[in-house]
Amino acid sequence: MASFSKEFSKGITISNPIFILALGLCPALAISYSLDNALGMSAAVIFVLLGSNIIISAARRIVPNIMRIPTFIVIIATFVTIVTLVFQAYVPNLYQSLGIFLPLIVVNCIILGRAEAFASKNPVISSIADALGIGLGFALALIVISLLREFLGTGGISISLFEQLFNAGSLSFTLPAFSEHPLAIFVLSPGAFLVIGLLMALFRWIGQKKND
Amino acid sequence: MTELISIFVGMALINNFILVKFLGLCPFFGVSKKLSSAVSMGAAVTFVMFIASTATWVITEYILIPFEVEFMKIVIYILVIASLVQIIELFVIRTNYALYNAFGIYLALITTNCAVMGITLLNAQQSYSFPESIVAALGAGIGFTLVLAIMSGIRERLEMSDSPKSMKGLPIAFITAMLLGLAFSGFGGMI
Amino acid sequence: MANMLRKIHPIMFVTLVVLISVTLLVFTETLTSAVLEERRQQQIVDELGNIFPEIDNFVYNEEIEVFTLYAGGVTIGYAFLAIGAGYVGDIAIVVGLEDSETVKGIIIISQQETPGIGDRITGGGFISQFAGLSINAVNFKQDGGQIDGITMATISSKAVIDTVRDTAIEKVKQIEGVE
Repeated sequence: MASFSKEFSKGITISNPIFILALGLCPALAISYSLDNALGMSAAVIFVLLGSNIIISAARRIVPNIMRIPTFIVIIATFVTIVTLVFQAYVPNLYQSLGIFLPLIVVNCIILGRAEAFASKNPVISSIADALGIGLGFALALIVISLLREFLGTGGISISLFEQLFNAGSLSFTLPAFSEHPLAIFVLSPGAFLVIGLLMALFRWIGQKKND
Repeated sequence: MTELISIFVGMALINNFILVKFLGLCPFFGVSKKLSSAVSMGAAVTFVMFIASTATWVITEYILIPFEVEFMKIVIYILVIASLVQIIELFVIRTNYALYNAFGIYLALITTNCAVMGITLLNAQQSYSFPESIVAALGAGIGFTLVLAIMSGIRERLEMSDSPKSMKGLPIAFITAMLLGLAFSGFGGMI
Repeated sequence: MANMLRKIHPIMFVTLVVLISVTLLVFTETLTSAVLEERRQQQIVDELGNIFPEIDNFVYNEEIEVFTLYAGGVTIGYAFLAIGAGYVGDIAIVVGLEDSETVKGIIIISQQETPGIGDRITGGGFISQFAGLSINAVNFKQDGGQIDGITMATISSKAVIDTVRDTAIEKVKQIEGVE
């Protein structure tokens, strides 16, 4: 159990995929202009990561060594296609706004990286912990980035994801004076680079403070 | 003809793969420290994009659409790209070893490069014709190389400048990318 | 023999993995495409009243994917979904036809064009130009049609125009084929 929590927490903190390892940056920058996108993308990545980690770790002894990477790629691509089809049917608006970044999870360095570096060498239980930890680390990073971008860029936050799924009401919050003149650059593409650059610097600065 | 030119300019400058579409960021931050390696990487990506677009167009047009199995495209495209990269690598090793030394290490990285997978998915999404797909791939590749080259020039100089300790390396590169992105957004009015 | 087997084994393994993957995906696709189809139809049904306020009944032809609309037992028009690639992603448009030649109105139900630029295609000023046009006049004024494009958003507006016109021409052929 101790090792489970160790594998789990490392993904969120010391090897956070976005801020520390700088992996999986493309979706983190591209779709993080709204909180809805961030939540949807995180759910998709966690599902694929968990599914592929479980299957690959369970099959690790029977996969022929020279066909390792092609096998991993087929397994990951299968899970990505399932996610894409399910999103298309049940959350069409989200499917539309994630665009090609949903199928592009298949080339996300985080997922193949975990398959190769962790799941193909470790038992199922720790691979699940690893997938959940790295997945949540990715999700947290995405949520922080999107909160900042959506709030600064539109002057408010709104979530309509649950409305599409369960017919629940949508949550939204706007800052009255600010939302009339928001800093639109944050929802545009240059703003993504700015927010992630500053957050990375902040993470490092905290790390350096701790070391001193 | 104007259609093709507007696709080319759109892919290379207005919707630049790196700065606007955010595709291919790993090599962008990974190999943009030296101008020479940036240009080699750019050339390798452009070449693979070109070959991959050709191959996936043929497969989509003559297999996926007739048999109505377009939902299989993620699995098929990634397998096609992975095997193409392998074949190109083998071919380059056997025929031109000097070229392999210059491009080889980048080729291995290209399979999981979202720019290559991205262009094939975009071509399919826009249902581009064959010439349109090719022009889109070349435009995207050239735009990618251009930004990679510009960025490496800037980063070579940044190395020598005195930025705050926690900003060194990646964070300052992100801020630089933001400024480049702002500059490129000026192309927006061209079409 | 054993040597041969060792060589073939990896290839057989990957083939098996691909087969399992294909089976799973075909299964998932069958499940989700039914949901998708139902949702698409519902989206069109929701918009019918906005294009044809007098509608009181409709019949859906699954084969050609066209709604035939009635008011008081008389055919008042046809409606169908037109999907085309915009500048960013797909644009989905419900098109209503009065008869086989005239557009009654269009409604854009989903699009991802650039905020503030391309997404102005959903504005009333652009959309209302389609009402009452003959199908062949659905084109830019400079190309012999009757529609003013949107400044700075030529590609997005052209995508709407081309999608509406091309789908309408195709559907009219199919409708006439059925009748």
